[in-house]
Amino acid sequence: MIVFQTFLVLVMIVAALAAAGFRDLLGSVIACSLVSLMASIIFYFLQAPDVAMAEASIGAGLTTAIFIFAISKTKRHEENEKTD
Amino acid sequence: MNPLIYVTIIGAGVLLCLLRMLLGPSGADRAVAVDTAATVTTALLVLLGFVFERYVYLDVALVYAVLTFVGSVVIARYLEGGIR
Repeated sequence: MIVFQTFLVLVMIVAALAAAGFRDLLGSVIACSLVSLMASIIFYFLQAPDVAMAEASIGAGLTTAIFIFAISKTKRHEENEKTD
Repeated sequence: MNPLIYVTIIGAGVLLCLLRMLLGPSGADRAVAVDTAATVTTALLVLLGFVFERYVYLDVALVYAVLTFVGSVVIARYLEGGIR
């Protein structure tokens, strides 16, 4: 089980680096959602289901929705580089 | 049976979803990849509830499944162009 927790932490680190590196802000928000998902699973493994539930509700529902609304009010792509 | 078998299979699923999230050319690919990872992870939460033999943990899976749906709906509305 400790190997699986290490795997989850590695997935979380890769998703966080992707969230920092994407030029497409929608992809960045989705990568943030994956980071929150992995954090919730790690809390669950550490025998803290209430913290996992709070992390799931805030990270998966609230943060993603608020960021998507913010992107829809502004621009999706970062400037100075062509993407898509 | 050994829970390591389940955990290995689910870890492979999460890894494939991470790869699609990293490689996906469009935003919809990334959204679908993270949504699939959330579904696979919900199955993991239910399985771990049985492995740890604490059935209160099933509530976390329930809350997570409901709130991930909200996030997916918001992303889909944005990709469709519904949020202005």
